[in-house]
Amino acid sequence: MSADTPKIAKLDAEGLSLKSVSLWQITWRRLFKRKSAVLGMVILGIMVFVALTAQWIAPYPPTLSMLDAKPPQNLDKRSSPCIHLFGCPADQPQHILGTDGNIRDEFSRLLFGSRLSLMVGLATVSFAIAIGTVLGALSGYFGGWVDNLIMRIMDVLLAFPSLLLAIAIVTVLGPGLINALLAIGIVSIPSYARVVRASVLSVREMDYVSATRALGGNTNQILFHRILPNALTPLIVQGTLGIATAILDAAALSFLGLGAQPPTPEWGSMLGAERNQVFTAPHLVFYPGLAIMLTVLSFNLLGDGLRDALDPRLAHVS
Amino acid sequence: MKRHVSVLLTLVVLASLLLAACGGGSQPAVQTEGLKEEAFAPTKLEAPDCEYGGEIKSIEAVDELTVKITLCVPDPAFPSKIAFTSFAVQPREYLQSTGGNGALLEKPIGTGPYYVAQWERGNQLVFKAFGDYWGEKAKVDTLVFRWGTESAQRLLELQSGTVDGIDNVGPDDFATVEGDSNLALMTRPALNIMYIGINNTFAPFDNELVRQAFAQAIDRQRIVDNFYPAGSEVASHFTPCSIPNGCVGDAWYDFNPDAAKALLEEAGYNADNPFPTIKLHYRDVVRGYLPDPNVVAQDIQAQLKENLGVTVEIDVMESGAFLDAADSGSLDGLHMLGWGADYPDQTNFVGYHFGAGSSKQFGDKYEDLVAAIESGAQLATDAERKPFYEETNKLIKQHVPMIPVAHGGSAVAYKAAVTGGHASPLGNESFSVMSNGADTFVWMQNAEPISLYCADETDGESLRACEQVTQSLLGYEVGGTAVEAVLAESYEASDDLMTWTFKLRPDVKFHNGFTLDAADVVASLVLQWDASNPLHTGNTGAFSYWSGLFGPFLNAPAE
Repeated sequence: MSADTPKIAKLDAEGLSLKSVSLWQITWRRLFKRKSAVLGMVILGIMVFVALTAQWIAPYPPTLSMLDAKPPQNLDKRSSPCIHLFGCPADQPQHILGTDGNIRDEFSRLLFGSRLSLMVGLATVSFAIAIGTVLGALSGYFGGWVDNLIMRIMDVLLAFPSLLLAIAIVTVLGPGLINALLAIGIVSIPSYARVVRASVLSVREMDYVSATRALGGNTNQILFHRILPNALTPLIVQGTLGIATAILDAAALSFLGLGAQPPTPEWGSMLGAERNQVFTAPHLVFYPGLAIMLTVLSFNLLGDGLRDALDPRLAHVS
Repeated sequence: MKRHVSVLLTLVVLASLLLAACGGGSQPAVQTEGLKEEAFAPTKLEAPDCEYGGEIKSIEAVDELTVKITLCVPDPAFPSKIAFTSFAVQPREYLQSTGGNGALLEKPIGTGPYYVAQWERGNQLVFKAFGDYWGEKAKVDTLVFRWGTESAQRLLELQSGTVDGIDNVGPDDFATVEGDSNLALMTRPALNIMYIGINNTFAPFDNELVRQAFAQAIDRQRIVDNFYPAGSEVASHFTPCSIPNGCVGDAWYDFNPDAAKALLEEAGYNADNPFPTIKLHYRDVVRGYLPDPNVVAQDIQAQLKENLGVTVEIDVMESGAFLDAADSGSLDGLHMLGWGADYPDQTNFVGYHFGAGSSKQFGDKYEDLVAAIESGAQLATDAERKPFYEETNKLIKQHVPMIPVAHGGSAVAYKAAVTGGHASPLGNESFSVMSNGADTFVWMQNAEPISLYCADETDGESLRACEQVTQSLLGYEVGGTAVEAVLAESYEASDDLMTWTFKLRPDVKFHNGFTLDAADVVASLVLQWDASNPLHTGNTGAFSYWSGLFGPFLNAPAE
């Protein structure tokens, strides 16, 4: 029997150390065990790095026509990629991805485009989350006519196809990046409001909330210090996946000429501008499309990974 | 015996049925139910005097086959003008019954080789050959117009054989078409102008110094070299040189950013008073004069930033809204637009844009410029007109109502098997002379016609469709610009070029079976001329070509 005692003590020690591990640490660990999520994080990491360092990596300013470059480069518009390493003649200026219809360096534009796309994704989702969370929390916490009013408005918003609604909003506000951001933000509010409302509904009946109430906590304390922090997990998942949709929507708006205005390098508008050149200059359509795809994919992989990692029911899977 | 009789009877019945079925010739191609052909009666509309400002004094149906038009001023270009598509003749009974719009916009009734069989809006426009056509009948029975805004799409359709001809081959695709033995490329002479228009009623362009600065700040050679197809040239003047007196007098400013900057400073703009951000409006529509609008707009944007430090915002507008805004003079800043020749005369270029009857596109009219243009338009020979057009070009350079950029070369492409294929310098290809050896010929152009009542349309995509269906007193030769007799068999002018008499071709049938007479011609023209005519309605009521070519309307409401 004496031999067993240390074992229990060891278990206890393990149990103690387990308790000290926070939810975030567990999530982080689980996330790293998923190859797809890691892949998503790696791609995203590269994108963020590129976006932050674009002005140092890019060989040319994104809006500079090579005709205005010093010294001026005598290039054809939509020239094909020229990489010295791969046998492009040395007397020809190097353009890794060729030049676009206005004889601008496609590679530089693509790099700067990542800034815009990430910014669009983060900004719209932050906007939508900020408003959606407040609306959803009020709705779920107070219930009754407040709930009815807010959620019916959200239902109306949801009843429109989101891209069409965004186009309508941009048409009213006028084309431009900021207006496109607003439009996409507005159309994505309802999904966050619903998610938050659902989790608030389940959390507000928890014992610790009742306890706070019994201790005399006011609405502000209960809602923002007790309920919301514990209702955040689904929001994080929804937000990560939402960034992907927002980037796609922004690209679609720009493709239609309603988003970023020329000469801003934006992947969607780069794609739209060269849509006629699919056969004559495929690289001008391929690379912006690829960039959009990779970014969206990275957010989707990460979002999926986060959802699984944050779900306690899937704990045994990892 | 009895059996023979029944066989005979059956044969007779069958034969008569066959005859009835084939006897469509007695039925008109287009049915206008409830319309009765009226007997000819002489008719005349005359302006009380020429004070109203227009060019026309009177239009008269003298007898069944004689039309007489008298002018207020001599006009040597009158035959070229009256030949234009928008002065086509339709039956007066039909015009009356439609009230000047409605069905008229969808189903014109003309005398041309094709009639409109069906217009599926948004999809295709189908024409059928007119059996009773007075001239050489159409070679192919069915003509179909389709449209696609993307040049890549048009080329793909031609390559795959679903269409027989396409308009405006993309500038980068010329070589592709030339290298394909199944296709034939036909270049269209650069009888057009792409310009950057400036409305002088909006600041900062109400200052002539600013306009002159911009005129020198854009490297036009660079735009043409990089973004226009072969066969294009930098515009030295507003009007192309192949038009008589088109490019006489001083050529446009040289590209000189330093002089431009100095002018802006002289106009009061400096570091303390920076030049405001301006807009560049255009429509994302490919035309022969502007093959790649977005790219050209962005190059202008980049150039103005680089050369003048001016920030330009690009504003892409819907085509119809853009043209309306341009016409009504509500476009501030700069706008990119162009013009293709309707007939080869200076009046069609400088007269239409800057003359007495021009729209508000460039803001307030420049009186000295109007005077020079109007004086030149009245003289009979090119030599006599020359000094006035030299003056005109000098004044355009001084006032800068617009910056001429390029005369754009463009091309159409057909399947190599198509006979009679041609590219018209006026953009009005005539399909009745073409044949692909089948019974349906499909043409694909850039856009859908806006309406088919071309008296009130200015868009080339609409005019081309109208030209297959309706005809004017005179017309232009196929694939060229020379004027030839069409509905008029012959015409003559008085010595002072003020009275023009047209003898109509006898027995010309309209598509609805009515016979053409002089009263139809008069009715078709006066409804455009006389603003108080109840039929002066049209699609928008602007009748821009009439006012552009013949000056103000009669009985125009006071502004």
